[in-house]
Amino acid sequence: MFSVLRFSTIKNLRNVRTFASSTSNHFDIIIAGGGLVGTSLACALSKNKILSERNVLLLEGAPPFKGFECGEYGNRVSALNNNTVDFFKNIGVWEKISAARFKPVKQMQVWDASSNASITFNHDNFSENVAYIIENDLVLDSVYKELESAKNVQIKNLAKIEDVDLEGLATKSVKLKGGEEFTCDLLIGADGVNSLVRKQMKVDTYTHNYNEMGLVATLELDGNACDNSVAWQRFLPTGPVALLPLNENKSSLVWSTTPEMAKKLQSLPADEFVDELNKAFVKEYPKNEFVSNALRVLDTIMNSDSQSSRQYPPKVRSVVERSRACFPLGFMHSSSYVRSGVALVGDAAHRIHPLAGQGVNLGFGDVKCLVEVLADGVYGGATLSDKLVLLKYEKDRLVHNVPLMLGIHGIQSLYSSSFSPLVLLRSLGLQITQNAPPLKNLFMKKAMG
Amino acid sequence: MIAKFRGFCVYVIHNNYHTLLKRPVKHFNEESQRLLAIKSSFNAGDQPLASDSKAAQNLNKEVIHHNHLASEWWDQNGPLKGLHSLNQIRIPFIRDGLVSRNYTNKKFIGTSKVLEGLDILEVGCGGGILTEGLGRLSANVTAIDLGESLIQEAVSHINDFSPELKSKVNYKLESIESHSKKNLGKYDAVIISEVIEHIDDKPEFITNCLDALKPGGSIFITTLNKTAILWVCGIILAENVFKLVPEGTHHWNKIISHRDMQVLLDSLGCQVVVLNGYVYEFWKNSWLWTKNTDFCYAIHAIKR
Repeated sequence: MFSVLRFSTIKNLRNVRTFASSTSNHFDIIIAGGGLVGTSLACALSKNKILSERNVLLLEGAPPFKGFECGEYGNRVSALNNNTVDFFKNIGVWEKISAARFKPVKQMQVWDASSNASITFNHDNFSENVAYIIENDLVLDSVYKELESAKNVQIKNLAKIEDVDLEGLATKSVKLKGGEEFTCDLLIGADGVNSLVRKQMKVDTYTHNYNEMGLVATLELDGNACDNSVAWQRFLPTGPVALLPLNENKSSLVWSTTPEMAKKLQSLPADEFVDELNKAFVKEYPKNEFVSNALRVLDTIMNSDSQSSRQYPPKVRSVVERSRACFPLGFMHSSSYVRSGVALVGDAAHRIHPLAGQGVNLGFGDVKCLVEVLADGVYGGATLSDKLVLLKYEKDRLVHNVPLMLGIHGIQSLYSSSFSPLVLLRSLGLQITQNAPPLKNLFMKKAMG
Repeated sequence: MIAKFRGFCVYVIHNNYHTLLKRPVKHFNEESQRLLAIKSSFNAGDQPLASDSKAAQNLNKEVIHHNHLASEWWDQNGPLKGLHSLNQIRIPFIRDGLVSRNYTNKKFIGTSKVLEGLDILEVGCGGGILTEGLGRLSANVTAIDLGESLIQEAVSHINDFSPELKSKVNYKLESIESHSKKNLGKYDAVIISEVIEHIDDKPEFITNCLDALKPGGSIFITTLNKTAILWVCGIILAENVFKLVPEGTHHWNKIISHRDMQVLLDSLGCQVVVLNGYVYEFWKNSWLWTKNTDFCYAIHAIKR
């Protein structure tokens, strides 16, 4: 008797799903956000043999993607690592990207303006590339084209999400501005750093404002840049400045600096801007005598020569018109990526400083892992919303993301100081890593896949 | 001290094992004959017991115990959370077992319809945690249990949360004895998951299960092992100290060791093809396959 009573109360509390599934507005999976990560997730879901029969709805606030043409280079580019490229190969996107254009990076050179410590990353004899520089618009275009043949994915543009309801036991619902409502078994938040899905999950987030802005631009290099296959990054006291190669004579700029300086650089006349930029790569900053001596001693001990083997980046000739743009930089990490029927991917779950170019790679790593975990769960008879399955995704990604994010955050903090002991610490650290192949390989493996 | 205790237990187990081995095979048949006399008691279901046998009373106690858990059956964080997470290893075990026996249609392997077209009987389905999982892989599952509230809970859960499975899953408030009589040799597989440890007359029970199975069909059993470590961890600590399992769920004297189970299956004309051990990592609510069968074991046997 007792159990029957309890049984009926529980039943009344349930959010019964029959209503939802009887309408055509129910989907197995809804992806909120059609950026790089959201679209590639939809594509990966359509390619997976186990998940390809699930109905997927991709909600994107912007109008339909305008497409991509091989004209002038776009100013938003990503440095994709080998893991991401493998993932793109698996979902059929790489073929399209490589048919258009991409630039392999054979070597990365990083050095410190406050000392002469430097480090280079490359595979033995340049046998493998360390990264690939690809325009974000090209990636989006390739993924959208691949999605055209995906039968199970519907894309809804101009879909601005007003509210999401995650409290339903059986289904989650999404309400759009304009009143349309959709329900789903699994809602995936790929809606960026200000994710509404994450806000509704009511999880704690750790955020940190670097008080820096990133300035991007497309640059033309001076005549003889050889094959321009090195990515350059110099840590200035105001933040790192990086040149990412686009082709033989063009590179993309990512310059992290103070907000005032970024605004100023953005509005400078083109020739003055180019002067400032060239100066940034070669200007001598006051060096601490003690640090320089320590580095010389280290060089002697390790039998290396950090001073003379230095290469310098190619000289910038001009900046492409209207290619300069600014964006704020910050650190954010969500304490949890999932709850029953909900998961976060990409910037919705974590955001880092662009200094190592890892942000978007982490996002694609999330997508790959989530699809694998979901497929495994479904092949094991679980529902898409099963929290036990989603927790596996969260666990896998936390183990991978957190150390990397802390590492990058640590580097950022370490390099934003001119305090001598810190300069000494980072310079010695960089120099030791440069001269200790096992340590260097470990970093490369972590960051470049 | 512990080693001594363990040694003693191993000794006891071995002794039991040898007595079992020495028994003539027909012993089980005799035993089941004897228990056929009280078969009506297994039909208990909703009606009061006719014959007042001890076994029937025990069975009834088990049903009542689990009936009380009906409302909490589907709470993933509730008292049965271990059963929910057990799905993550027992469903792949059953799935891969069936795939390896070539019962499944090749074109569905590697898709979510991998068990399409297979008829599976689940005995002692409770609220349907395993049943729905198998239905989701497209198997036709008949699931029986003697607890009325449990079957009600299972039916209402599928109606409310998984209506798409209604055509795949069929719940019945019925004993295995009466069900197998009506469905002789019907099923490709019979599943007895976390159930055999609640059954008094195992030979009779397994015999009934096998009756419902096609020749060459598979029987899957997952249960606790009768070892000292299980007694300490699985009953004393899990039920009384850490409260991982509701108190009074398991009874030491009803647990059957994997050796006894193998002998029993062998004597009933089955060939054991897989014997795996598994353990519960309660701190993260997940299960792990192990070589060691001291804690729990899963058996896949074929009806000859």
